[in-house]
Amino acid sequence: MSLDTRARPHQARPRIHPNYPRRMRLADSLQILAVVSVALVVAVFLADGGAARISTPADAITALGIVTGLVGTDLLLVMMLLAARLPAIDRAFGHDSAMALHQSLGKPALYLILAHAVLLTIGYALVQPAGFFDEVWIMFSSLPDMPLAFLGLGLLIAVVVTSLVIVRHKFRYEVWHLVHLLSYVAVLVAIPHQLSVGTLFREGSLQRYYWLALYAGVAGSIILFRFIVPIVRSLRARLTVVGVDQEARGVVSIRLSGRQLRSLRAKSGQFFIWRFWTPGLWWQAHPFSLSAAPTGSSLRITVRGLGDASSTLPRVPVGTRVSFEGPYGLFTDFARTSPRIVLIAAGIGVAPIRSLLETATFAPGQATVLLRSSTVDDTYLVDELAALCRARGAELRIIAGKRAPGTSSWLPGDAVQARITLATLVPKLREADVYICGPRKWTDEVVRDARSAGLPTRQIHFERFDW
Amino acid sequence: MRKRAAAAAATASLSVLAIGWLVGTPAVASLQNTLGGSATDATVSAAASAPAVSTPTATATAPAVATATPTATATATPAAAAPAAGVTGTFTGSVVATRFGNMQVSVTIAAGTITDVTALQLTDKDSKSVQISNRAAPVLKAEVLKAQSAAVANVSGATYTTQGYLTSLQAALDAAGF
Repeated sequence: MSLDTRARPHQARPRIHPNYPRRMRLADSLQILAVVSVALVVAVFLADGGAARISTPADAITALGIVTGLVGTDLLLVMMLLAARLPAIDRAFGHDSAMALHQSLGKPALYLILAHAVLLTIGYALVQPAGFFDEVWIMFSSLPDMPLAFLGLGLLIAVVVTSLVIVRHKFRYEVWHLVHLLSYVAVLVAIPHQLSVGTLFREGSLQRYYWLALYAGVAGSIILFRFIVPIVRSLRARLTVVGVDQEARGVVSIRLSGRQLRSLRAKSGQFFIWRFWTPGLWWQAHPFSLSAAPTGSSLRITVRGLGDASSTLPRVPVGTRVSFEGPYGLFTDFARTSPRIVLIAAGIGVAPIRSLLETATFAPGQATVLLRSSTVDDTYLVDELAALCRARGAELRIIAGKRAPGTSSWLPGDAVQARITLATLVPKLREADVYICGPRKWTDEVVRDARSAGLPTRQIHFERFDW
Repeated sequence: MRKRAAAAAATASLSVLAIGWLVGTPAVASLQNTLGGSATDATVSAAASAPAVSTPTATATAPAVATATPTATATATPAAAAPAAGVTGTFTGSVVATRFGNMQVSVTIAAGTITDVTALQLTDKDSKSVQISNRAAPVLKAEVLKAQSAAVANVSGATYTTQGYLTSLQAALDAAGF
């Protein structure tokens, strides 16, 4: 009989964890809100008679210019919300996906704003009539608040261009980030001309209040969740470095101690953006995942000396004060949908995997840990992983070996030749949630393997740790 | 995005757009009806019927309208039986403050017919405003003379000027009992 009860769950279709539908409802609502916000600004324009007023080609061009400006600005506000670290957005999509969406909206928003500028210039020039560049000058010199709007457009172009993947890696993170912060200025300096030029947002009109309320809501979210909440949490937690343990060459675990850490509701697998208040480090903040389950008084991260900052981190003195933003991310047990779990890590990606293994819900025999490295010596926290796997009844596999040159597989060359895939490595993969953490390209390859094994998106969780 | 969410978002967006369109167009339709298609310039502002549109100037004009006293000239001989029919005289409208400067017009009525509209003040906040209102004023005057009322089409690209012009004109016509 006991055998029967164990077998039954496998025969039935795996039950989806109740967290999942709840999370997806939230995600759906947020996505619908974002789409409707775009429709709403266009509707405001229509309700004001914007389309009905069109009679000449110049009117049509001007109207189109207004609409592209409205939609582009609305997208900019949505982008800012995505980057504002709203708890609801993090809970629904995770920081990673939210930022991916933020990134993918950048170019469309810029194109719309550029179209806005060009179309309105053409529309106005046709009415004058004037040449295009004469009209640009007329607008710049005689329309109210237009110099500021031109400044905003210039800043926006700078922000988006420096964020293009090719260009972005030519800059240090801090330089790029500083340029990126100019987007706040770009959005702010564009406000006056929206209110003073054109009649849609004229004084006293309902739509003017709606528009200003949008801005106020976004600004409030940014101030609250990017500044006030992290500062208050950091001050309350009073985190300090209590120990630095050498894990391997260039890899250290940093143990932190503080007060009332339960109130952070941090979960295994999440990351914080840390700032170490020592002379060489205070000016830069870095995201690192928890490498051990958080407790009420202690946190631990494991860091490899990769970037310029993390190479000095191993020497961070004990007693250093630490401030933080977070916890962020959906790389947690909260995102689970299935009874089984597969944890796959490469390199320092082992950190969140290690903490997940500690607290994830699974019965003995239902978890698999895959550790990928070029050589067996390249693995970190292996002893801890082995001990946890023994204690919790999980299987640990270390997959060492170089990749075959020119191939795109996350597995070593000989494994690829032997036709080994994720599906052959993990029994009952279809009933498992797969968590993947490693370098960007490698992560993409594992995700592809998991997809081709027929795993639905909801069962694939990954976090990339390079910016 | 899940299919259901995408469908819901599309439905909600289309509804919002449809509502916006409906709110925006009846204003136009009713205005065009009153004009009887006489306006060759079909660009019609929602100003006359959409309440939201008239609010910005409403605050500015409220006190001014009260002072809109007709500068009734000696020739003002309102007909007793039909006050609107036989009015004659020059009536000055209220000063309407707009974003781009003050607007004020006076209207000359001869035996119940609007014969002239004179712009006493035009938006003049900057050179662009001057340019716009100088372009719009003759157009508006022609339209008003044709329509014999303040219910005329918006001059595209000169919405503020149009609004101010027509609001001041309406005050003058009200003062005339026209």
